[in-house]
Amino acid sequence: MADEPLLRAVDLTRHFRLGGMFEKQVLHAVDDFDLTIHEREIVALVGESGSGKSTVARLLARVYPPTRGEIYYRGRPIHTLRSRRALSWYRGEVAMVFQDPFSAFNPVFRVSHGVMRNIALHRPELKRAQRQPEAERVCQSVGLGPKMLTRFPYEMSGGERQRIGFAQALAVRPKLILADEPVSMLDVSIRAGVLNMMAGLRDQEGVSILYITHDIASARYVADRVIVMYAGHLVESGPTEAVLGDPRHPYTQLLLSAVGDPREKVELISSDTGEPPRVINPSEGCRFRWRCPHAIEICGQVTPQPMPVGSTQVACHVAAPAPQGLTGPAVTTKT
Amino acid sequence: MAEPLLEVDELTVDYLTETADVRAVDRVSFRLDAGEFLGIVGESGCGKSTLLFGMTQLLSPPGEVTGGSVVFRGRDMVRLSPGELRNTRWRDYSVVMQSAMNALNPMKSIGAQFKDALEAHGDPSAEQIRQRSVEVLGLVGIDAAHLRSYPHQLSGGMRQRAMIAMALLFTPQLVIMDEPTSALDVVAQRSLMSKIKDLQRSLGFAIIFVTHDMSVVSRYSDRVMVMYAGQTAEEAPTDAIFERPLHPYTRGLMTAFPSVTGPRRELAGIPGAPPDLVRPPSGCRFNPRCPEVMPVCRSREPELYVVDDADVRCLLYAERPAEAR
Repeated sequence: MADEPLLRAVDLTRHFRLGGMFEKQVLHAVDDFDLTIHEREIVALVGESGSGKSTVARLLARVYPPTRGEIYYRGRPIHTLRSRRALSWYRGEVAMVFQDPFSAFNPVFRVSHGVMRNIALHRPELKRAQRQPEAERVCQSVGLGPKMLTRFPYEMSGGERQRIGFAQALAVRPKLILADEPVSMLDVSIRAGVLNMMAGLRDQEGVSILYITHDIASARYVADRVIVMYAGHLVESGPTEAVLGDPRHPYTQLLLSAVGDPREKVELISSDTGEPPRVINPSEGCRFRWRCPHAIEICGQVTPQPMPVGSTQVACHVAAPAPQGLTGPAVTTKT
Repeated sequence: MAEPLLEVDELTVDYLTETADVRAVDRVSFRLDAGEFLGIVGESGCGKSTLLFGMTQLLSPPGEVTGGSVVFRGRDMVRLSPGELRNTRWRDYSVVMQSAMNALNPMKSIGAQFKDALEAHGDPSAEQIRQRSVEVLGLVGIDAAHLRSYPHQLSGGMRQRAMIAMALLFTPQLVIMDEPTSALDVVAQRSLMSKIKDLQRSLGFAIIFVTHDMSVVSRYSDRVMVMYAGQTAEEAPTDAIFERPLHPYTRGLMTAFPSVTGPRRELAGIPGAPPDLVRPPSGCRFNPRCPEVMPVCRSREPELYVVDDADVRCLLYAERPAEAR
């Protein structure tokens, strides 16, 4: 494989203006976020609600443009795409699956409508007569029978609908699927099937998946790499077993302690209320410091940058102190 | 044993529609002692929410309680008149709904909604109202300043905690919770569960906690009842059910949630979907999805069998009660 990954984002930043015309409040949803996704790879993006993980997915899907930063798909800049044609091409390469399978489909159309439309729009090489067999093929690759195509959304269970969401995405023959919390609305007993299906898509169809979730335990079963986000910043990233087996950042440790093993009789009585901050007009410093048990003075002054620790990258002054000379104001002017 | 706080006996709820009658809850019985924590677990559509609504007379047509009784503190709750119901509701028992965003009135501040509830059961002075409101908000760890906040100004976790504070206004003996944590993410979920358990310990109320995720109740409940297709599939003390799940469905639920510790095993889940209750499968209702299905399961309907301290509805335990020991 070449050095250029499938998708690469550098310094991805998205701010939203809040309030009225004269108010100067800026919500920092994502700040200086780096990400790479290789071919045939499932990357899990983990964080709490409000951590900016869905914003990252929407930036990568070009739902809205980044405030700052660059996105490259196979080396081609995406953040500068403007024309309808170029965006349509990109959407044929990178597809999205949404969180809520109950509101993601038009209730008055059969599910074949969305699948066939995607084939018609993005697969010009297929003749009209070839579309129906192709729709049945993608349906089978997500584990549903071809008869499902004739159903209406209300005739399907949540798990079946989410599979149709993946079938719709697959219909454009994408190289990458951005899946925003695809299982969080499903019953626990049905989640496993959808997760296993995602792993199957990677192995058989060769697509890469960005799997966005707040459940770090589920990432373990499908993801090759894990990226942990907190309040718009990357806090830790690396191979799944390294991040989950030996978490370095205190936030990753908190996430893992929250899932734990349900069979263990552990009492988790802490003052932690599980509230991620809304990052409005932030000042310099680590955004986790108010909840962090290890916070030291420098955490309130300098924003930690991701540093290599073993096979992972960790943004923490305590777990991964920056080498001397780099902690000066030179690196702090970024935010 | 002392008189139970709540005794549900053969409760049956039907949805009477024009085309078909659907039995959503089929002769469910259980008892709850004062201060006990019961977890009710099942997939969507298994009737767990309908069971709660039936017990508390919150069903809306075409849902109707068609049999059984719910005796709470010596009175049958499903036969209370609207007036009696209004008196006892919220004061003796309270209900925390799944989505606090929809359960709270978006047009009123948190404080005003607390005031409404307090004034429905007495004639407290403004000072008493304020005092009690601040007190219950303190219990769930929310700053008193939020009495003036509107629901949209609170985060999901805070809204859910405000709902719980409201449920505790009269220190009821029973709090019924319908998936209060399922809209929250894992960290908020854990901290809310610990909070609920703390409050239960210090205030001593009983809890009925409904969820689809077994891992949520595992650390907190005293007993677990697993529901499938409107019926009790298994009921046992929490330790026993996690140590040795008897019903194949319970075992399926146990392999469904991912774990970060221990060996990385295959996530199995349960293939297939819950049955259509308009035409439930003949015999055991779980037989189309059951990995241990026997020929007899397709024709014979299982009863609840007693195995040690568990009740289980599965024919595996019907023929050999002695051997199971």
